[in-house]
Amino acid sequence: MLTVVKNQLRVCFLSIQYNIMREMVNKVTFLTNVVFMVLNDASILVQWFILFRLRDDVGGYSLREVLMLWGLVAASFGLSNILFARALSLPNLIINGKLDAYLVQPKNVLLGVLTSETRISAIGDLLYGVILVCVCRPGVGGFCLFLLFTITGALAFTAFALLLGSLSFWFVRMDILQNQMLMGMINFGTYPDGIFQGAARILLYVLLPVGMALWLPSHVMARFDGKMLMAVLGYVFLLSAAAVAVFYRGLKRYASGNLMEARL
Amino acid sequence: MQAIEVENLSKTFRVKRKEKGIRGSIGAIWHPRIEEIQAVNGVSFAVEEGEMLAFIGPNGAGKSTTIKMLTGILYPDGGRVEVLGMEPMKKRRQLAYQIGTVFGQKEQLWTHLTPNDNFRFFGAIYDLSERETEERIEELSERFALKDFIDTPVRNLSLGQRIRCEIVASLLHKPKVLFLDEPTIGLDPVVKENVRELIRQMNREEHTTIFLTSHDVGDIEKLCQRIIIVNDGQIVLDDSVEHLKNHYLHHKSAENELQKETAPSMEGMAAAAENGDASDASLEDIIVEIYKAQGEV
Repeated sequence: MLTVVKNQLRVCFLSIQYNIMREMVNKVTFLTNVVFMVLNDASILVQWFILFRLRDDVGGYSLREVLMLWGLVAASFGLSNILFARALSLPNLIINGKLDAYLVQPKNVLLGVLTSETRISAIGDLLYGVILVCVCRPGVGGFCLFLLFTITGALAFTAFALLLGSLSFWFVRMDILQNQMLMGMINFGTYPDGIFQGAARILLYVLLPVGMALWLPSHVMARFDGKMLMAVLGYVFLLSAAAVAVFYRGLKRYASGNLMEARL
Repeated sequence: MQAIEVENLSKTFRVKRKEKGIRGSIGAIWHPRIEEIQAVNGVSFAVEEGEMLAFIGPNGAGKSTTIKMLTGILYPDGGRVEVLGMEPMKKRRQLAYQIGTVFGQKEQLWTHLTPNDNFRFFGAIYDLSERETEERIEELSERFALKDFIDTPVRNLSLGQRIRCEIVASLLHKPKVLFLDEPTIGLDPVVKENVRELIRQMNREEHTTIFLTSHDVGDIEKLCQRIIIVNDGQIVLDDSVEHLKNHYLHHKSAENELQKETAPSMEGMAAAAENGDASDASLEDIIVEIYKAQGEV
């Protein structure tokens, strides 16, 4: 059993390593992608600095807490797109019958698919998130929590993308819904949850995994709460399990295809 | 011993149909019309270990769908499949260690990497140690003459070089059964012959069972002992290539002689038969004739 896991991890890491090697073929593009993503993320902070000059808190958050939230969202999204970027283009693979290459390999299909793409700009997101949190000086414990929640956040992003993408086994053009929902998750996730009330707040805790995967962790980082921590871990586990179940259920409906294609 | 056993295999696809134009598109939202297409319909056959079988048919006959069910890519709707004693859908991973696949129209290699790096990746996929992978790369690159371009990115290789690399990648783990789906598509005659020789050699030396689909009659004639022709998802002929070549035309000639009395305007094969020179017709002519008899072409 251990050997199976070890061999599977070896293939996953090799796949991610090869993805990065592919992107590094053009060093200038690689570096500019990373650097400009950091700058791009940083530029959005200007509005928060202006806002916090006018008010002391926004939705119950101080500037430091907003920066921590931003750091968590950017790092989670970045990690997800470094390790499992293919979750975002899963509908394309399903609709165009491009899963064949993964199905004939003696390895886990889902992990093979998810790790087959890396978005290089995501390295910029992850770097930005880590830098931002370091600037906030959360202490050793706080930084460990940040790392833990970056992992759970990345898993939640991936699982949500996988869940929506897997619906392509049943419905066409699910890529549009997937894209909109994920953009919604990122956009809403970067605002303090206190500004959302009523139905909007319920939707952001139920329909989108914003509340459970991003806001709750940011509360735990601000004031540690064991129950909340367990709730986050449990939620991410259930969301991931649901996404995996839907993917494998859908895989039985996979129809393959005969398009000429290349693995680029 | 049998490498592949297939019994009453069937697969149906559901395909959406719509009327032409924007009206049709809007109408399809409220009243979607879904048709069922029987891609494979009650196919049964068996392949012996070490046999080289050609599984052919016109476009849309169900060849690729069958191969995909044999390799665990698609779930069958009905029937039974066993490859090396395993059901592909239930033991997909275990089976994948024992089989190799080459899809001529689909690249499995990473194009930005060299063949060498690709082979190392495939070595890891099949749980080979680094030493085993190195030894196998050395052996196969010698046999498939890859040495000159093994460190050149795949995207810079010619089609022939790439296909050789695809075959090597699928052979690293010494598969017992190799599925080749149009492996020589787009290759020039010299490279085709080269690839065929390598496949023959592999079958001879490693006793690999070959399951081949191809529209190139040269592949079938030069590689396979047995041929299965499918059309509309059903097997219409299962015979040895030699027997087919020797006897089909004689049978056809006799049939045409009979028909000539009532329908004297037969062309093509009938003309060859009338001349009493059945041996002039190639395997390709025979296959085309069988396709025509099935209402294709």
